[in-house]
Amino acid sequence: MKKGIILTLPKYDLVTQYLSAFSGQIEMAAEGKSIFLKRLNEKEVNRKEFEKVVKKLDCKMIVLNGHGNEDNIAGDNDEIIVSKEENPEILRDRITYARSCEAASGLGEKFAKDQKTCFIGYDLPFEFYFDDEWVTNPIKDNTARLFLESSNLVPLSLIKGNNSSESHERAKKQMLKNIKKVLRNQTKESFAVAESLWNNYVGQRLHGNKTYKL
Amino acid sequence: MTENYEDNVDERIRKTVIARIDSQVPSNLKLAMGNYPSMTKDEMIEHVKKGDEIGKKIIKRHLLFLRSLASGEFTSAIASI
Repeated sequence: MKKGIILTLPKYDLVTQYLSAFSGQIEMAAEGKSIFLKRLNEKEVNRKEFEKVVKKLDCKMIVLNGHGNEDNIAGDNDEIIVSKEENPEILRDRITYARSCEAASGLGEKFAKDQKTCFIGYDLPFEFYFDDEWVTNPIKDNTARLFLESSNLVPLSLIKGNNSSESHERAKKQMLKNIKKVLRNQTKESFAVAESLWNNYVGQRLHGNKTYKL
Repeated sequence: MTENYEDNVDERIRKTVIARIDSQVPSNLKLAMGNYPSMTKDEMIEHVKKGDEIGKKIIKRHLLFLRSLASGEFTSAIASI
């Protein structure tokens, strides 16, 4: 298996546009460490292409941005690219970070006792607030930043050489720091943002190998 | 009797969640949550009023937070940082 990352970047609605825009940090970090990174952009994020790329490149880490539910993670236009029932083995022996709703409770749990695989995701709906003013330029949205940069810490920390458990905890710790920060700032959105960050903090789960490294 | 009591409790919870959304969410913000398109504050309130799938998830999330607050879990997590 190769030290490398496959990153999905669907952009077919506002939610996926935000997830993909904030993934730029992950791309830069991988480049900075000279770690191979394969981007699957927009229409490329379909099941056929995803399976082909994973099998061909055999990268150790997969970062999935997209909609999802307990059993499935979607790519472009809601097409399911990983399914608990159909192709979970595609994630076996790898580290997967799924920024996708609830997939840790079904698909991810499949790897709970698998010490050769690590799955980090959410067993609640991953959520974030964004400011309508910045939808054409998501990266400048400081509200969304609180959610997406803290969740980015899972792959960023793995890229830095930390293990799966340390990376999982770093992201969660940053979520708490952000909650503290917004509550201290006492803006009109403080409570709404803090509660949503808490949802992601409580919902983030690690299944499988806790000491896996990229 | 039990059914009426539960209906009343459900209605009180629904009203509480609507009041929380109304007071906490500024109109410039949208919420991305679950496998659904993003929602404005008014759309969130509408889902909660209807009691549809996403409305139930919004209520569940508010209750999760309130329980964490009541149990002290939220406060102790924040204090640990």
